[in-house]
Amino acid sequence: MKKTMISLLPVVAAGLVGSAFAATEADVENTFNPYKAGMPSAPGVTPGTVITKANVDQFKDVLSVGLFKLLKDGAFEMKVGPTTQFMINSSYINATKANLNKTKLGSKAGENLTGYVAGRPFPEEPDAKDPRAGEKLAWNYKYGVNWGDGAVISPFYWRYRNMTTGQIEKTIKYDFHFLNFMHRTKDAPIPEFTPNPSGLYRAIYVKANEPQDLKNTQLLIQRFEDDSKLDDAYLYLGFQRRVRRLAQGQVTDSFLGSDLMIEDFEGYNGRVSDMKWNYKGTKNMLLPMWNHDELKLSDEFKEADGYKFVNYGGQGGCFPDATWQLRKVYVLEAVPVNPNHPISKRTFYMDAQLQNLNGAIDIYDRKGELWKAFSVGKSHPDHHLPVNKGSGIGIDDGVIMVDVQAKHCTTAQFKGQVDPKKAPPGLFQVQNLRGGD
Amino acid sequence: METKLNTGRRLTLIAAALSATFATQAWGNDLPSMGEESSPWQVDVTYENHTVHREHAGLAKFRNTLQAELDKKVGDGWGIHSILRGSWDGVYRMNSSEYGKDAGGPIMLENISGVGGSFSVPHGGGVVNNATFPIPTNAFGFNLTANPNEGMRVLGDRWHATEGGVAFGVPVRPCDVDSRGCRDFGGYGKDGINGLEAPEFNKRFDFIRELYAKKTFNLADGKDLFLKVGKQQVVWGRTDLFRVLDVINPVDYSRNNIYDELSDIRIPMWIIQAEYRMGASDWMQDRNFQLVWNVDQFRANNLGQCGTPNVILDAGCFFRGMANLWDNGGTVANFAGGALATDFGPHQLGIRNVNLPAWSLSNTQLGAKYEGVTMNGLSFSLNALHYRSQLPSLHAFNYSPGELTNPADGSTTTVAKKMIAFDMHFPTVNLLGGSMDFQLPSVGAAVRMEGAMTWGEEFANSMRDELYSKNKVFRSVIGFDRPTFIPFISETSATLISAQLFYQHIFNHETQDAPFGKIGMVDWKDNFIGTLLIKGFLRNGTLSPQIIFAHDFQAQATAVAPQVEWNVSNDLKVTLGANYKLAEGRDRWKFDDCRACAPYTQFSYDPAGTVGANYGMTGMEPLGRFRAGPIGAAFKENDIFVRLNYKF
Repeated sequence: MKKTMISLLPVVAAGLVGSAFAATEADVENTFNPYKAGMPSAPGVTPGTVITKANVDQFKDVLSVGLFKLLKDGAFEMKVGPTTQFMINSSYINATKANLNKTKLGSKAGENLTGYVAGRPFPEEPDAKDPRAGEKLAWNYKYGVNWGDGAVISPFYWRYRNMTTGQIEKTIKYDFHFLNFMHRTKDAPIPEFTPNPSGLYRAIYVKANEPQDLKNTQLLIQRFEDDSKLDDAYLYLGFQRRVRRLAQGQVTDSFLGSDLMIEDFEGYNGRVSDMKWNYKGTKNMLLPMWNHDELKLSDEFKEADGYKFVNYGGQGGCFPDATWQLRKVYVLEAVPVNPNHPISKRTFYMDAQLQNLNGAIDIYDRKGELWKAFSVGKSHPDHHLPVNKGSGIGIDDGVIMVDVQAKHCTTAQFKGQVDPKKAPPGLFQVQNLRGGD
Repeated sequence: METKLNTGRRLTLIAAALSATFATQAWGNDLPSMGEESSPWQVDVTYENHTVHREHAGLAKFRNTLQAELDKKVGDGWGIHSILRGSWDGVYRMNSSEYGKDAGGPIMLENISGVGGSFSVPHGGGVVNNATFPIPTNAFGFNLTANPNEGMRVLGDRWHATEGGVAFGVPVRPCDVDSRGCRDFGGYGKDGINGLEAPEFNKRFDFIRELYAKKTFNLADGKDLFLKVGKQQVVWGRTDLFRVLDVINPVDYSRNNIYDELSDIRIPMWIIQAEYRMGASDWMQDRNFQLVWNVDQFRANNLGQCGTPNVILDAGCFFRGMANLWDNGGTVANFAGGALATDFGPHQLGIRNVNLPAWSLSNTQLGAKYEGVTMNGLSFSLNALHYRSQLPSLHAFNYSPGELTNPADGSTTTVAKKMIAFDMHFPTVNLLGGSMDFQLPSVGAAVRMEGAMTWGEEFANSMRDELYSKNKVFRSVIGFDRPTFIPFISETSATLISAQLFYQHIFNHETQDAPFGKIGMVDWKDNFIGTLLIKGFLRNGTLSPQIIFAHDFQAQATAVAPQVEWNVSNDLKVTLGANYKLAEGRDRWKFDDCRACAPYTQFSYDPAGTVGANYGMTGMEPLGRFRAGPIGAAFKENDIFVRLNYKF
């Protein structure tokens, strides 16, 4: 414990400075390489440790609430691997440096940023005394590197599982495409596609290829630079051959019967202004991050290039057969602004280096009780497909979403490809949905 | 005779298609390769059994469908997509007394006045006939041997009693058993039992449901040209059920009336579709221009052959009965004097010809659409279409020397007015319209709207000598979709509430009060139809209960369709459901039947013998179906069903 405290001291110090002064080059270095002074540690957490129902109590402090419960219930065993560097690509880091201190928060929460150009808008360490520290982290996520300027997950196997019986109720085979229209740092055109009169910032295009009843179902989500504008979401139903504009409520509803809502995609798929964000502190915690090529992989789904997917096991087959590593995380609470939202709160355990929101998430129902435990496992890009090598992007590799109340889970196995050619802008237009099959 | 000759060919086609569609994914790799950059064929095969029990009729569907969906990339960016579908409906053999070779029987027709008062007469036993009519040269009466009183039902008895109106016998058996009144009314109306039970295996090769090639050509500045050529569906508009803009492909209502998804019942056509995708501009987030050239030979909506379970508006029975009247004559209830059953002879009234547009360049259909998204997120389209009406229009032809016979004196050279002897036409129509959708954040709903104006549609109009008129029509639909948490349905998933309101206005609508009732246009000048869908998602969406209400405001008719869909596994889905209709105030449907029209001087009600007057006697037939609408005209057809879908 003492060792942990010592290793975090420079971080805390940097955070205090950051709250009082403008961010510095040192802050930039620290935010992208929080392990410069050494890898994090926690008592008993060493590579090779296996956390089980029997010993989980001693690791409670490094686990999310949901994962602790699942381990305590014996739903799976967690294997600990070494902490590794997930360095973000240099173009994003350079953009952060080039635009340091240009970004300002709006005058109050819910308002747009001003001055943002590219890179991480608030690289300074969050300060618990800063009432808007949580909001800054949320902006860092919105403008995070995430899937980069353009990428695809193809295929994407998504399964509904009964945790009690182990029955696989449904398997859906998707393609997920991602594109940044603005604030691009790596792939042409930089910094943005023009013309872009609506101010689209980012879009996700999803197409279901299997099973038959969902074949050709397509989803398009368009997020705007102006955070006060609602996302536009369109659904093309293959069996109807018609594009339907989704009402706002449909993004907070179970997506095609899964345990995820559209708002859960990538950890959080909503506007910054939809939530009240509270930074609750910095910790070392176990997150699902690994080297894909070092895992025992599944032989189930065959790919022509020999790619194999993350294997799943544990109760109901809900958990990746993979390693977890100790990471520096920011604990971030998000409470929906809309009182009719189906959840009361999410607690994100945000990886400090990547600043994604999907490492581990606790989701609470409207009564305030734990409803779902959600994690997206990431592979280091240099240990994944050749196309991902050197991309500097944590490759989302496998998903756990467990409804702890209903004993049900949704898993996803990915073949992520950071390949902007597979995310052309024409794919992210409504007409593309109509013009398909 | 023609049908029998086709039987062997049909069976061969069935065998070929079934053997093809029985094959599964593994078989896909054995299909011929089509290029170096190609991918293997991807083949998905599904089976569906749809079984329906109908109140008072028994089994109304036992349809088994095999469908294969094939996809292949063939190189250079081209892709091929095809859907092959073959179905076999056992209802015609399993319930032959209702829908097959034993359907119908001898009938009795009303005669509400005359010597002996109100009584019924058999078909062929009209009170007014060749022997009783006072003019010796009269042409009343018909050959009962050629048009026997067997295998018949009284027109409209599926949805109403005669109640003093007109009626006549309609042959209801498959056309290979009884060919009376069988015509090609536009892709239906002359099928024998083999054609009815396996409808895709016909001369238009409907078992090839879709077959098209597509490619996106990347142009300069990020613009694309998308081409899609082949047999396909082109879907315009944003609403469900109602076809305001979605009129490029005709629809097969014989499959399951209005209760199937449109994508399953649109009749694909050979179409060339080109789309210029321009992307964003300084003012628009997305811009697309589409040209649609339907180069296929015209096809009408399939309204269902009389004697089959799904005959929307009971129109197919009216057409078949009228065609039989033209060919063979027949007894018409309550006709002469508005009260006497009358035996008409051949070529006196009925439907003579069906003028289906032949293929010619000028008969091809052309559409254009500009679709875009504004910088403020309004998604919209502007549509224009030059097409043929997919619904028939009946033109009273009034004069055909040597053919059209005045029953009163046997003359075949008299020019008539308002004579209920028709040719069927499919008029040319021009449409201009548009659609849009947007969010209403304040109520958490998405709104969909469509509107279209047409020029050239034709409507029954008993004020006109030709008994029809051309009228401009405006139609629109507004729809609201709102996911709502309804705790008693599900505490974790929202329930979808989707409401739509359809409106139709007919311009220059004509009606007039005549001595015995209103005459003119039977269609309502203004009408609204509302639909409401409530759909829940339980057990992670594997169990989905829903209920649909549809209400026709002018017809005062309502359909209620509850169903539960259960995804048993990834490959197996079972659906249980029903649809039930309610109709109040059915007298509202009665309208002028032109029995009090005066096509010839002998039938004039005024002493001067004026031809062409109409005194306006009313009944449910033949025009009440337009007032009842598809819900009212089926109000006695209450169904329960089970549907099973399996993917191999």
